[in-house]
Amino acid sequence: MTDTAIPTRKAPRFNLRDAGTFLGLVLIFAVFAVLNPVFLTAPNLINILQQSSINACIALGMTFVIISGGIDLSVGPTAAVSAIVGATLMIAGVPIPLAVAGAIATGMACGLFNGALVAIAGLQPFIVTLGALSLYRALALIFTGGNPIFGIPTEFRSAINGLVMGIPVPVIIVAIIAAILWVVLNRSPLGEYILAVGGNPEAARIAGVPVARTKIIVYVLSGGLAAVAALILTGRLGAADPTMGNLWELDAIAAAAIGGASLMGGKGSVVGTLMGAVILGGLRNGLTLMNVQAFYQLLATGIIILVAMLIDRATRGRA
Amino acid sequence: MTNPASRLSLIGVSKVFPGIRALDKVSFDVRPGEVHGLLGENGAGKSTMLNILSAVLQATEGQIVIDGQPITLTRPADARAAGIAMIHQELQHIPQLSVAQNLFLGRPLTRTGGLLVDRATQEARARAILADLDPRIDPRAPIHTLKVAQQQIVEIARALLDDAKIIAMDEPTSSLTPSEFDALAALIARLAAQGKSIIYVSHKMNEVFQVCDRATILRDGRFIDTVDLSQITEDQVIAKMVGRDILHARHVSHARPEIVMQVDNLSDGGLIHDAGFSLHKGEVLGLAGLVGSGRTELLRLIAGIDRAKTGSVTLNGKPVDLRSPRMAIRAGIGLVPEERKKDGIVRARPVSSNIALPCMGRFTRFGLVQRGKLHKESTALMKRMGMRPPDVTRAIGTFSGGNQQKAIIGRWLAADVDILLFDEPTRGIDIGAKSEIYDLIAQLAQSGKSIIVVSSELPEIIRLSDRVMVMREGTIAAILDADQISEDAIVANAIPKSKGPVPVAQALEAM
Repeated sequence: MTDTAIPTRKAPRFNLRDAGTFLGLVLIFAVFAVLNPVFLTAPNLINILQQSSINACIALGMTFVIISGGIDLSVGPTAAVSAIVGATLMIAGVPIPLAVAGAIATGMACGLFNGALVAIAGLQPFIVTLGALSLYRALALIFTGGNPIFGIPTEFRSAINGLVMGIPVPVIIVAIIAAILWVVLNRSPLGEYILAVGGNPEAARIAGVPVARTKIIVYVLSGGLAAVAALILTGRLGAADPTMGNLWELDAIAAAAIGGASLMGGKGSVVGTLMGAVILGGLRNGLTLMNVQAFYQLLATGIIILVAMLIDRATRGRA
Repeated sequence: MTNPASRLSLIGVSKVFPGIRALDKVSFDVRPGEVHGLLGENGAGKSTMLNILSAVLQATEGQIVIDGQPITLTRPADARAAGIAMIHQELQHIPQLSVAQNLFLGRPLTRTGGLLVDRATQEARARAILADLDPRIDPRAPIHTLKVAQQQIVEIARALLDDAKIIAMDEPTSSLTPSEFDALAALIARLAAQGKSIIYVSHKMNEVFQVCDRATILRDGRFIDTVDLSQITEDQVIAKMVGRDILHARHVSHARPEIVMQVDNLSDGGLIHDAGFSLHKGEVLGLAGLVGSGRTELLRLIAGIDRAKTGSVTLNGKPVDLRSPRMAIRAGIGLVPEERKKDGIVRARPVSSNIALPCMGRFTRFGLVQRGKLHKESTALMKRMGMRPPDVTRAIGTFSGGNQQKAIIGRWLAADVDILLFDEPTRGIDIGAKSEIYDLIAQLAQSGKSIIVVSSELPEIIRLSDRVMVMREGTIAAILDADQISEDAIVANAIPKSKGPVPVAQALEAM
């Protein structure tokens, strides 16, 4: 019987899935607060946000790609290539804003390449970005001969490492980006298109959604945000490393998934992904505070991801 | 109430789904050794009835009595235990396994204390049963090597193996040739002579009259009549099935003289070739044809989903390029697709978002979607179309098929297209919503929209259309004006000429 109404509750005004992620966040933080008095202090919380900002930045782009029904495995190498372009420009004496723009444009170009192969050539996103992952990493290594680029101008470094009203600049950058992306996803036509393309590409096409353009845009966005993350890390380290961003894609996917993004496409949340990134960052911070070995931190991360997905599955029902 | 001579009695059986009564207090009985037809239009409740008999669904109320014993059917195993077997339209076996393995699927004969399957005994028993039905079937042959008719016989063998007293067959002849049908009819007669009761579901009148003794007619989930087929004509049965109101609903044309769309020599390099026709303002143009004649493909070309190789489409005198759905929509053409779930809706998104997709620009200001305006307009639209409940913030996937269809139609009203293409607009929709969709199509035509409707149901197409275009083998075979429209005329033009004479009734069923 395809023709029977499925009785459902009225959709709540707030996002139920985000509430769940928030609950998980509170729970994990509460546990660490009890275990370690330092954890819940203001400096440490700011520290957690700072440590989570790079992953959050990458994960936001990843969230958009995942919602559109794709995946971007090439974010780490995209970041490396962008960092190297930015650093090279800075060292060559190009004004810092222009160098930053150059780095971001590089990231977006990497995304455009991925997006074109997915949306126009019709290749599978997993394979395209898997290939791009090797390709971009190779470009970064070949260009630098495998050596980091040092000598990043101090103006840039101090700008990235600065504080605004006590809050680290990277946190502010990512917060602004997140606010903009929230509006894009929830209040703009592009957001509707991304959700529709990820939910049902064929129906979206028949309804007149510019499917190819929408897909390309999300990969460009992901590449651009990878570049932003790369610039943050470059500023903090004072160097652009061609091996930068190894396995970033996995952390980003984890944050997005914990935050409610469905790898089947059509579902995901900006707020959820931010919380996902903070959960992962808080977990690492808390375990480090308690002097837990890195191996066990990895174990905890894996468990959190799987538990989050099981809870997600169990509470979402069989719809 | 229960007839002592009956094998199976249904007493006041109802099945209620949220929002729809699929069966409403249906009562009838089937005698031993009787072949009993179960007749009705799509959505009349035949499938629901069969599902209740095979315990796939549970009746909401009512009683089922077999040989005077009231029985409860809660699990499929109950139905088997009660002696009811079901032969599904889609035959259910595992293609790679042998005939004997399929016959004993799920309850193998074993030896050495249940550890090993006793293939030899299985095959011997299979052979014994099949010898009676069709000795040409080798129990050891993989079942996919058998013809469909033979696979069906294996299903019947399975029913006999279960010692079924009541065998229900759902559209058993949908893929059989005429000679295979004759063989099946003879087999059914033999089973009846052995005292089995057969419930035979089909909408092919000639077969029902040939095979069945009596028939029960359902309409809109209600019991209409149980008739003795030797005492009644086909037309009388059809009248009972369809209901006079639907048959004689008057069609009013709103077509105006000006031509909105002119299609010439359209070809897709494959099936569709040299398709040409014109569509008037306010006209409902029916598009009929056999399955595979290219009706859906033609609509998809006009909707810009597939690209035409040659030919032209002119709208209001201007040639248009229909390279993508987006361009077709901009030109004023919208498609209500046949496969709603696959091609129509984005399940997880709210109704309002699904409505707004083609015309986001109308609801956007300063780059932002005007949620308030979208909510207000889509709610008004859905109220006007009778969506229940008119809550456009709910995910569209949570609504019934009829409501989803209204939302898809509403999408094109919001986008204000001039030409609406409907591909099987009432497929999978309950009867109430069906007549609402009919009314809606008429209203749209009245308001000046031009409409093309593809339908496999001839009564539907005849009821809706001002003219009927008949497709045959990828091209337009005929365009029938109002005074030429009849089932016979449609069928006569739909049948491929090269394949020799096909009886009209048989071609009708293939539609």
